Amino acid sequence: MKQRHRLKSIQARLLLPLLGLVTVIWLGAAMLTWIDVREELDDLLDGHLAQAAAMLVVQQVHTEDDDVANAPSLHKYATLVAFQVFHEGQLVMRSANAGLLPMSPKAQGFATVRLGDGESWRVFAARGMARDVQVYVGEQTHSRNEILWAILNSALLPLLFALPLLALGGWWAVRLGLAPLRQLSQVIGQRKPQALKQLESEHMPSEMKPIVEALNALFDRIEAMLASERRFTADAAHELRTPIAGIRAQAQVAMGADEDTAQRLHALQATLAGCDRATRLVEQLLTLARLEAAPNTPHTEALSIDLCQVTRRVAADLAPAALTRHQTLILEASNACPVQGNDALLGVLVRNLLDNALRYSPDGTAIEVRIEHRQGHTVLTVEDAGPGMSEHDQARLGERFFRVLGQGQTGSGLGWSIVKRIAHVFDARLEVSRSTRLGGLAVRVDWPARP
Amino acid sequence: MRILLAEDDAMLGDGLRAGLRQQGFVVDWVQDGAAAERELSGGDYAAAVLDLGLPLKDGLDVLQSLRARKINTPILVLTARDAVPDRIKGLDLGADDYVVKPVDLHELGARLRSLVRRVHGQLQDILSCGDLVLDPAGRRVNLKGESVLLSTREFDLLHVLMLNAGRVLSREQLEQQLYSWGYEVESNAIEVHIHHLRRKLEADLIQTVRGVGYTLLRREAT
Repeated sequence: MKQRHRLKSIQARLLLPLLGLVTVIWLGAAMLTWIDVREELDDLLDGHLAQAAAMLVVQQVHTEDDDVANAPSLHKYATLVAFQVFHEGQLVMRSANAGLLPMSPKAQGFATVRLGDGESWRVFAARGMARDVQVYVGEQTHSRNEILWAILNSALLPLLFALPLLALGGWWAVRLGLAPLRQLSQVIGQRKPQALKQLESEHMPSEMKPIVEALNALFDRIEAMLASERRFTADAAHELRTPIAGIRAQAQVAMGADEDTAQRLHALQATLAGCDRATRLVEQLLTLARLEAAPNTPHTEALSIDLCQVTRRVAADLAPAALTRHQTLILEASNACPVQGNDALLGVLVRNLLDNALRYSPDGTAIEVRIEHRQGHTVLTVEDAGPGMSEHDQARLGERFFRVLGQGQTGSGLGWSIVKRIAHVFDARLEVSRSTRLGGLAVRVDWPARP
Repeated sequence: MRILLAEDDAMLGDGLRAGLRQQGFVVDWVQDGAAAERELSGGDYAAAVLDLGLPLKDGLDVLQSLRARKINTPILVLTARDAVPDRIKGLDLGADDYVVKPVDLHELGARLRSLVRRVHGQLQDILSCGDLVLDPAGRRVNLKGESVLLSTREFDLLHVLMLNAGRVLSREQLEQQLYSWGYEVESNAIEVHIHHLRRKLEADLIQTVRGVGYTLLRREAT
């Protein structure tokens, strides 16, 4: 929990490792200083001991005195150092704090010993061979440690003061560095939901440019989506209101046609046709809404369906209407054409394609429907001799309510949206082009090979 | 009153035409924007009903280019686009009224009459000239408090003359106001109707300006 909380703030994420690193480096440096100083100090002080011993040895050579001399204590540190001089086994000179017995068991060289006073001493023993002089010079080890601690303190103490200062400075610097981020969040926070204009990225720090650019791209996408929704609402209003307005107008005409029976009959028939149109529109809207709301429910579960059978069924349904307009519906299908799909939805797809082709083809022309099965692919092609479509219109095909105006047809522009949606649900590819055979529109639906 | 109806939907257009005809309007119906603009540029229409989502040329474009060319025929926009910005845009581009579908046919008729009336500077729907009173909505004519029975054409002719009281209208202008397309107008039709009106009303009500046309003189009510 604590960890997660810490990760939330960039400031903390920058500051904590920084301060941790500084502390570790500083402590490491202090430790190295400690080791280094300790060695140097030992060398230096041992050198002094040896020097002092050598001086005592040399001095003893010239002294002819059989009494034990007690050297006076001249400095406050004098109690921390001690010496003894033996001549032919007899103690001849010592410092006040040195005992009567030799301080070191060794006759020559360094030794660290514990003396009668309970303190640890560093003792150097030296021997003057010429006149059998034995000299011991000692120094309390804890004085050495005191010097070491003093050095260590002076190395570590500043850290204690520097750390809070460093933290404060670091905090300030990081805060300064993050200012553009805060400004950005302020700018975005103050935006109205409709304001989707681009954020200015020119003067952004390079680290933030990708964020701002990503945000701008998102704004663009949202704006496009909103525009498409607005268009949808406007188109939906038009498509829903027009048949209702028509029904209303025709009903009123029927009511107002006092003795004119022919006019009343005509108006009532038009009212019924308007109701049928509104019903069809509502059904299409519902189909589309269901497809968009739940594209992966069991309702649309893909089974292996014989597309030929579905197409034959739909063609049989539509043929009578086509015949009244002297249109010829030709179905060319190989025997087995299994596709992944759902019987009902494939029926809707094929019906919409055939219905469109029949609707936009002139009387007396042919509509060709072909189903081919090769290399695992199943391809449904519907070609007509209608007016076709410009490339610009082809690109817009499938937008809800889009239809090419001025065709004298009462389509709602939803059929294509439904076809596109169903094709998408079953992974089929939809292609629209100009028919080279019939001159109108050619629609290809391509189901890929089954994995 | 001759009205141009621009509506691309077959069923709605058919219904509107029939409904407006029932109310005594003379209606010409076009189904695309280009035709609407062409007809309004040339024809003599009292008003127009314009759908916005028209093929070939959008209704708003038609409106804009007509107004740019100083064609001031009153235009009622009839559309499914009901958003306030759409309404504002329509009115600012020169629409005289903005009605959202679906619309009551009688309301549509009343609004058209109101537009035409305003163009002629009248405040009330009821037109009067001396003792003569004409009610366009009820299609009734009273002279000195007594109802006068007129045929459809006679009523329309009197309506046009009263709307333009004090102005001289040529025979062609009157024909254009009275007949829709495809109607074979007999060369003396207007003269015959004028003759009938003079007989049914008062002989000196409608004046002939020789070689120019006809006019109805303004009179104060007595």
